[in-house]
Amino acid sequence: MIEAVNVSKQFDKIKAVDQITATIREGNVFGLVGTNGAGKSTFLRMLSGILKPDSGSIKIDGMDVYENIKAKELFFYISDDQYFFSNATPKDLKTYYQIAYSGFDGGRFDNLMKQFELDQHRKINTFSKGMKKQVSIICGICANTKYIFCDETFDGLDPVMRQAVKSIFAKEITERNMTPVIASHNLRELEDICDHVGLLHKGGILFSKDLFDMKLSIHKVQCVFQNEVDINQVFENIELLKTEKRGSLYTITARGTSEEITKRIAMSNPVFSEVLPLTLEEIFISETEVVGYDIKKLIL
Amino acid sequence: MIIIDYKDRRPIYEQIVERFQDLILKGVLEVDSQLPSVRNLAMDLSINPNTIQRAYAELERKGYIYSVKGRGSFISNNDHLIQCKKDEIFQSITKLMKEAHDLGITKEEFMNKVNEGFKEGMKDD
Repeated sequence: MIEAVNVSKQFDKIKAVDQITATIREGNVFGLVGTNGAGKSTFLRMLSGILKPDSGSIKIDGMDVYENIKAKELFFYISDDQYFFSNATPKDLKTYYQIAYSGFDGGRFDNLMKQFELDQHRKINTFSKGMKKQVSIICGICANTKYIFCDETFDGLDPVMRQAVKSIFAKEITERNMTPVIASHNLRELEDICDHVGLLHKGGILFSKDLFDMKLSIHKVQCVFQNEVDINQVFENIELLKTEKRGSLYTITARGTSEEITKRIAMSNPVFSEVLPLTLEEIFISETEVVGYDIKKLIL
Repeated sequence: MIIIDYKDRRPIYEQIVERFQDLILKGVLEVDSQLPSVRNLAMDLSINPNTIQRAYAELERKGYIYSVKGRGSFISNNDHLIQCKKDEIFQSITKLMKEAHDLGITKEEFMNKVNEGFKEGMKDD
């Protein structure tokens, strides 16, 4: 389990991460989403002990991570801007990681390199960006660590590779309970693979919830009523995040289970009504809108 | 066997549950045959194994499958489930009849349509 308690980090006057508290449980796939500059990468870099938090604590399986080799053996960090030793080949990387990670599976590395059709003897700096990502991912999987931190890792891969990597991840999760922490903007993709999602905004965590619960607890409603109604009265005790009215058609984003909402609507003689779960993308937009991150403002 | 519709708004696990229910009720998956393991299905679909675990748990709760420790999940005897499904259909007919009555459709018209529908349906079989 990874526990971050009240973690803050400041670069000069910029508060990159502000009092984040989060728990990442084993066997879960944790998705880290957030607006640009929300502090996702900074948070991941603190989790991996590259940066020292100004205040607060980060514990991996009960151990402080900063400058602690024992804790660092528990995870593999795939950074967004990748660094390889100059003139290094994948074979050199293998030798290097075998020193760093006692559980590194060299045979698996050779196999995967072959399957991904990557030449082990070619210099990494001659590889394309996507191929470099593939090399990092293969290293990460072969390191056999309990946790794997991916900073926008899937974003540089082509659709076939994504599918392949996701399948490998699925295998690792079932076979050895690997726990990936994935930061990404591709919400559609996170939706397919994550159990738990943490939403960051301006350095703080807006929420950290089970994706399944989240989808059940927020809905989009479209309805038309026979008579003129007071919408706030119809949805008494239900929090409305957004209400729009076009003609007689209401489009509402509401917090509540589908049963609750359907029940309230049914009481007010609807001509037509539909309750739909939100996609992660819509949840993201409506939650950040509440705290003042509005697309309309950005477009105008 | 299982296809996920990414345009569908419903959660993936719900789609998996529904698809399996369909396959089981139609008899495509036979009683006591084994379901794909969580790992294999997760790898095939490239999705989170926990999602599949959740779908299997739901299927088990509803009585469609049973699990044997260390061996996997199997299709249960589904006679009573088919009966439930039949009851559901009859219930929706009752509701449909009421709606038809409200619109002024007579019993004869309704029955004629039902007979027509049956003929159409039989042709396909």
